[in-house]
Amino acid sequence: MSLIQRNEELTSLERVVLTLQRKEVDRIPAIPLVCGASYRVSGSHYDKWSQDAEIATQSLLAAQELIGQDAFLLLVDLSVEAADFGQELIFPKFSTAYPDFNNQYIKTAGEYDKIKKINPRETKRMKQVVDTVRGLSEAKGNEVAIFGFVYGPLGVLSQIRGHKELFVDLIKHPEEVLGAVDVITEVLIEYAVAQIAAGAHSIVIDPLYSSGTVLRNTTWEKFEGPYLKRLADAIRAAGSAVAIHNCGGGVYFEEVIKWSDPVAISVAYPAHGAKDWEEHAKTWGDKIITIGYSDPAETGLVFTADEVLEDVKRQLDLFNKHKAGFILSSGCEFPPNGNLLNAAAMVEASRRYGRWSI
Amino acid sequence: MSLNKQELFDKLAASIVDMDEDLTIELSNQVITEGIDAYEAIVNGLTVGMNQAGKLFDEEEYFVPELLMCSDAMYSGLNILKPHIKINSHETKRKAVIGVIEGDTHDIGKNLVKIMLETGGYDIVDLGRDVSPATFVERAKEEKAEFIFISTLMTTTMEGMNEVVEILVEEKIRADYKVLIGGGPVSQSYADKIGADGYAENAAEAVKLANNIVAAYGNEL
Repeated sequence: MSLIQRNEELTSLERVVLTLQRKEVDRIPAIPLVCGASYRVSGSHYDKWSQDAEIATQSLLAAQELIGQDAFLLLVDLSVEAADFGQELIFPKFSTAYPDFNNQYIKTAGEYDKIKKINPRETKRMKQVVDTVRGLSEAKGNEVAIFGFVYGPLGVLSQIRGHKELFVDLIKHPEEVLGAVDVITEVLIEYAVAQIAAGAHSIVIDPLYSSGTVLRNTTWEKFEGPYLKRLADAIRAAGSAVAIHNCGGGVYFEEVIKWSDPVAISVAYPAHGAKDWEEHAKTWGDKIITIGYSDPAETGLVFTADEVLEDVKRQLDLFNKHKAGFILSSGCEFPPNGNLLNAAAMVEASRRYGRWSI
Repeated sequence: MSLNKQELFDKLAASIVDMDEDLTIELSNQVITEGIDAYEAIVNGLTVGMNQAGKLFDEEEYFVPELLMCSDAMYSGLNILKPHIKINSHETKRKAVIGVIEGDTHDIGKNLVKIMLETGGYDIVDLGRDVSPATFVERAKEEKAEFIFISTLMTTTMEGMNEVVEILVEEKIRADYKVLIGGGPVSQSYADKIGADGYAENAAEAVKLANNIVAAYGNEL
């Protein structure tokens, strides 16, 4: 029983599920991506939050109590999977973990075969995420939507090899890259299935490089498309919904939908080919639910609460105008030290201005 | 300029665009053996090639992998030509330190900005990635830099940019440096909020921004 949140017509879980089914809801769901930022609510530190399932669970529950967002997202950091494959990480006290780039696990193009199949139910970091999903599910799985999270196989590999090195290898050593992507995909399938078994209602996959600012669409399709399909099919076979998150610029909606057939896509910028959000809503509004698109930095670090309300109202009005599928969110992770009251303001904005059906 | 020299510069530019690092090395060595001015070869060959690659990137003909291979070729040529630049063969360069803020290892954008600044005539000291705010300030002082360029791709690390400005203020040296920021989550309003001197959306804009500041402040920098 929440001490802070008001009673509403629907539970958060019902609101999210009905929205994804394009059915009538009491208001548009609001899901500011408050992940690591939750460490501050429980008085922990980021490094502890990201390495201890119990601390993460209690922090996420407390943050949801405070903010009232309609879903949990299990984005701990983009190095969770890479660490379990052998990549050394650095864990800052107040920010996200990241690979030790002076000590990449794959140092040369000849080392891609170092990637071996592992069991995510037994490894350190992926198991922690699964345990966190389980803790959230036991506490609030009947009320609040739980989105598990899997970084796409090419993204995982970039954390292990180094971004620049991987991109050059795509051209110079494609077969070696594809071999590693194949092994990683098998592990990610098991990881996603484990999160579903622990209580995740949906799995969010982040194919970060399916973006016009990074790779050509055909290049992305070659290196991640079929692997994304395998992962998405396995998630659906396990009884869960597939969603996509990509905070890159100009996400290739057409290609991403072709390979993953998701229920929703979470973005920070309009889809590739759309010159602005209006064109995005017009083009994609009846094809896919867009999750977006508050600027996380502006919302967390610059705006006042009133400015958040105004900004969100603009977004809701635009998507309402086009009867476009929409879930209100930040386009990327809420800054870990951002103003959490502004995340709560996003939810309040949904209550005030988001009472329309799609 | 002789036709042969121009042809050589054109080939040098083309080798960059074609991502042909071996050919860039071969042609750069040819510049030296034929006694052609190294600085001219950098400006009229390597820089022209890199600018063409940047244009192809803007037009979505090239993407990050292609641009990285072009820059690898450019640096191979630069390494050969740079030691042969004649002193006083060009204007005094404006000095800058550049890096990715602490906690972030995404340095492709920073590297592209660095390349564009170097080809735009700036003397760049690359601090690399995962650079602490204190290091930005220390190195800027050591290098007697006029600009501090800070990049990040993550919302989780962008607040480190603010710390750089705070340290400059605390040390009462804020006016000695122009702090310019960029990267995915950053915006002009964020730059305004933290008191940075400017924000650039991409590498080309970063050069324009720096040039505008030089034009506005000149020797007061």
